[in-house]
Amino acid sequence: MALLKRSQNLLFSMNQFQFYLVKKGVTSSVTLHNKENTDNKAVDSVSGSNEVSSKNDKEYRPYSPFNVPLKRENLAEFVVARIDDVLNLARKNSLWPLTFGLACCAVEMMHIAAPRYDMDRFGMIFRASPRQADVLIVAGTVTNKMAPALRQIYEQMPNPKWVISMGSCANGGGYYHYSYAVVRGCDRIIPVDIYVPGCPPSAEALLYGLLLLQKKIKRIALIQKWYRK
Amino acid sequence: MERVLLVYEKILRKIGLEKFGNLIEIIRINDGPVNSLKKLTYYDDLKKGTLVGTDEFGNRYYNNNYYFFGRNRWVEYADHVGFNYDGSQVPPEWYGWLHYKTDYLPENDPTRPNYPWVLKPSENLTGTKAAYMCYSTTKPKIVVWTPQSKQKA
Repeated sequence: MALLKRSQNLLFSMNQFQFYLVKKGVTSSVTLHNKENTDNKAVDSVSGSNEVSSKNDKEYRPYSPFNVPLKRENLAEFVVARIDDVLNLARKNSLWPLTFGLACCAVEMMHIAAPRYDMDRFGMIFRASPRQADVLIVAGTVTNKMAPALRQIYEQMPNPKWVISMGSCANGGGYYHYSYAVVRGCDRIIPVDIYVPGCPPSAEALLYGLLLLQKKIKRIALIQKWYRK
Repeated sequence: MERVLLVYEKILRKIGLEKFGNLIEIIRINDGPVNSLKKLTYYDDLKKGTLVGTDEFGNRYYNNNYYFFGRNRWVEYADHVGFNYDGSQVPPEWYGWLHYKTDYLPENDPTRPNYPWVLKPSENLTGTKAAYMCYSTTKPKIVVWTPQSKQKA
């Protein structure tokens, strides 16, 4: 009995490591997407679609969002997909946010760096210079006076860069929406990846936003798009 | 393997190396070194605790008051989600226990309403095909500015 249990455990743990083996019956995302939308082929065909399947809740979800099975005919695509995986792994686990605290949201932004929420365990370290940062966390009300500075700081960040809009004020003006001195959402100035709602959002909410950004980064198909061109 | 680890644990405890004995015990409780490494990779943590309950999605909830407040209750997500675990996979009834809103386990909680119309909790679908996309049928009052960027070669 014990032997049986042990072998089951071993099998199970082996199962965890086959990230890229697609289960039978699941058609590859490439064909599905191409039928649906032909305009955005390069972008859409490689984006992950296997994260949540409504058909079967208990289906194993592989680590990689790219459904490229290892076959003889698509060996190059397989390799390219795995390179993307490694690239995204490196990027998502060393997100360095820039402190752009403008209002009370900044206090919550400080909390995620403090021991209770401790963003350092996700490889995130606050940087004071935009040239060293990956993520811009816009925490607080963006006033018209601050708008050019925000845009300049965004331009100074090296690629790849992401933006998190934190709090109602940064999302859409919030409480100050009708003020003549306030920008109605920082997405009028810079492109935003993640919107964190709340006034101010709790540190937990912001951390969850950062984790969602990690998930988003996991789906970037940089090398695959280059290869398809 | 379990027996071997148990022997090691006892020997270490007798020598006086309590902490190493604890380490071996944690590895033993987490089903051997391979599974321990796996859990360490998944959750960046290896703990021992009593299994308090499981929910409908297969998440397992543990409790051990040896760890201080804030770390004494934790969840190990269902096996099929792999690395794609997410805080929103915890259903609301367990959320309360996990976040110290209540000390009652969901099945013992007298205050928890159980209406027939309550929907099954769903995880955060952001970034998947099933994500909710809002749209408006009215003409927008403002024109969104699209910044011009240089054409890439």
